Amino acid sequence: MGFTDLLSKYGAQYFQALLTTWRLTAISFAGAFIIGILITVARVSPIRPLRIFGDIYVQIFRNIPGAALLILLVYALPYLQIVFPYDVCVTVATILIPSAFCSEHLMSGMNTISPGQIEAARSLGLTFLQMIRRIIIPQALRSSVLPMTNLLVATMLTTSLASQVPMRPRDLTGIVSYINTHDTGGVTAFVISAVLYCLTAFAIGKAGSLVDRKVRILR
Amino acid sequence: MDNHSPVPMIELRHVEKYYGDLHVLQDISLSVRRGEVVVIIGPSGSGKSTLCRSINRLETIDSGEILLEGNPIPQEGKKLAELRAQIGMVFQSFNLFAHMSVLDNITLAPVEVLKKGRKEAREEALQLLERVGVRDQADKVPAQLSGGQQQRAAIARSLAMHPKVMLFDEPTSALDPEMIQEVLNVIAELAKEGMTMLIVTHEMNFARRVADRVIFMDGGQIVEENTPDCFFSDPASQRARDFLHSLHAE
Ligand SMILES: Nc1ncnc2c1ncn2[C@@H]1O[C@H](COP(=O)(O)OP(=O)(O)OP(=O)(O)O)[C@@H](O)[C@H]1O
Ligand SMILES: [Mg+2]
Repeated sequence: MGFTDLLSKYGAQYFQALLTTWRLTAISFAGAFIIGILITVARVSPIRPLRIFGDIYVQIFRNIPGAALLILLVYALPYLQIVFPYDVCVTVATILIPSAFCSEHLMSGMNTISPGQIEAARSLGLTFLQMIRRIIIPQALRSSVLPMTNLLVATMLTTSLASQVPMRPRDLTGIVSYINTHDTGGVTAFVISAVLYCLTAFAIGKAGSLVDRKVRILR
Repeated sequence: MDNHSPVPMIELRHVEKYYGDLHVLQDISLSVRRGEVVVIIGPSGSGKSTLCRSINRLETIDSGEILLEGNPIPQEGKKLAELRAQIGMVFQSFNLFAHMSVLDNITLAPVEVLKKGRKEAREEALQLLERVGVRDQADKVPAQLSGGQQQRAAIARSLAMHPKVMLFDEPTSALDPEMIQEVLNVIAELAKEGMTMLIVTHEMNFARRVADRVIFMDGGQIVEENTPDCFFSDPASQRARDFLHSLHAE
């Protein structure tokens, strides 16, 4: 099947798949972002067990392959009588892994804060949480826009894990497998998805540099 | 105000501190009365910063006691934060919050810590900026200000908390020569208004002008406590004499 045939026959489904990938990406990134911030707060907190927990969390989810994590959630948990629906498994996997990277980016964003600012905050009587909320997280976020942009793209690519389980609606990778088992899309079917991934990544990259220019901290 | 209050504003009793094997504070006892300006002088590495920083517990001490108006400095947590809010600290490197406007730098702690209303905090911040002469820089971020302006804004930030005492750790050492005076003038003004202050400085003329008392430190010890006039014209200790000579030789 050629390019035009594929598009005329499956155009609507590609569009649906693109929206699905966007939706999965948005949900995963939002989740990863929130958990990433919480884990980071734990990692710099004055409470040692929390710091250790945060570090272990990051070590685990930064180093586990997405497919392995998904298989664990889908096929291993049921042995423990824990069964999640497929889409929940995919979402959990695509939140946990990027959240570890999100925390790493925030930690390096924090390194741009001079220790003197922390001392100034302490000597003004700010508590740990006030300092986190008003000084540390805002500066860490504003100095990590570009790595976060990359993380958003990486998160999108991770959502292709959805194609590994029978999840509906299909995402951009899932649709390729579908077409190639029911029809003869060949490489062309894949190229269409690849282009859609790339265009999305390009748009994310552009938006990221715009935001970065706007919020970057003058030092 | 009662200048003869029996309870000192700050009191250190037999304070000891080590960095590993280095005995940085050796049996330091010292008190600062309400409204008094005490200047600490001494060669590099003598422990002046450590002394200053241990008063609001940016450094912990190994033994001895530090009291603010007779109350010991709490160990940690909310109590410590409350105490720190009453002690202003001005650093050599200004340490303004880089991501906020100068105005927000000043209103942050009054709003967060003292729970002041935003509007009230803002008005007071503008008055303070006026007082230190950087009112027109209020909406800029710190990096857009000169060093002297940043340091004056940092002083305003401390003053916004209405501290009982102000600590200055070499407030002009990071400044270009032409900006030193503008910062010293602000501090001298505070002295005139009766602010209790502990000032570490290498500016000898300034020290002589504002100090009620000079403390000379060397090798982690207080070697001499004297009036500024006696200290600069006829120091009691040999080490202080040597130190002052070394300055003149430069
Ligand atoms: N965090 C630290 N760890 C180990 N040693 C330290 C630390 N901070 C300071 N010191 C050492 O303690 C001694 C006293 O330092 P401090 O900064 O109090 O001196 P200072 O009188 O303020 O000197 P300067 O005039 O150079 O600022 C110095 O020998 C210094 O090297
Ligand atoms: Mg020092």
